[in-house]
Amino acid sequence: MRTLVYGGAASGKSEYAEALACAGAAPLYYIATMMPFNDEDEQRIERHRLMRAEKGFHTLERYTNLKDLKIHEPGCILLECLGNLAANELFSEQGAGKNAKNAILDGVFALEEQCHDLVVVTNNVFGDGGNYEDGTLEYILTLAEVNNVLAQRFERVIEVVCGIPIVMKEPAK
Amino acid sequence: MVLVIGGLAAGKREYVKNTFGYSDADMADAVLDGRPVLYNLQDLTAKTDKSEEELLPLLLQKDVVICNETGNGIVPVDKAERIARELTGRLCIQLAAHAEKVVRVVCGIPQVLKES
Repeated sequence: MRTLVYGGAASGKSEYAEALACAGAAPLYYIATMMPFNDEDEQRIERHRLMRAEKGFHTLERYTNLKDLKIHEPGCILLECLGNLAANELFSEQGAGKNAKNAILDGVFALEEQCHDLVVVTNNVFGDGGNYEDGTLEYILTLAEVNNVLAQRFERVIEVVCGIPIVMKEPAK
Repeated sequence: MVLVIGGLAAGKREYVKNTFGYSDADMADAVLDGRPVLYNLQDLTAKTDKSEEELLPLLLQKDVVICNETGNGIVPVDKAERIARELTGRLCIQLAAHAEKVVRVVCGIPQVLKES
């Protein structure tokens, strides 16, 4: 089963996605995409690390180019999150730049081949309107396109609001 | 406690007035006082010096807490805004967990996310 978990900042999506992944096939892999830049990032990463502690996740830190990531034994993969991955692919030195969208999608498709269950966490960054500078707009559009492709492709899509899961799409019973 | 969330000017206060019978006089704008309804929780978190743990019990005493959805945009450049946004989201998760009812108002239409 492939599940896309969608939500805003501090919506409870990570906690929800982890619980979902824990119910998937063992072994559990956690692909962390967040590049720490400062103390605030370190704290956020630490908070997520604590949440995963003792849940049995193998953590793989991967900031770009998921396509070449090799998973040794198929199980459940939790990829968190596309918002960071998109920023890394678009803006970091090792990133795919203009080819970010395809790099992200090819990466997710490669993971699909290497697991039984896949949970992908992605971000709602689309709700504050306004005018953006070009780089930010490119980021928003890239993430939107990736979200839309995966929501179409995956069997299940869940939006998390205030920690409450809202089923947007699920397999026919 | 009822938690009502939604975008800016989505019709959250109108919904609360019409559904639960409160008036403007019952509604406190981002201040904690004796009134039964608090709205603009996101403004309260932006100016408070209280922690999540300190705010939560005070908010749970309210009949209704109304909050704008603030997490659905690009990460703010300003650190204080980021911290307030994080606090708003964390509080809403806690409030939603304790609430007997959680409603998201979209274009004035209530969508019940939780009801016990």
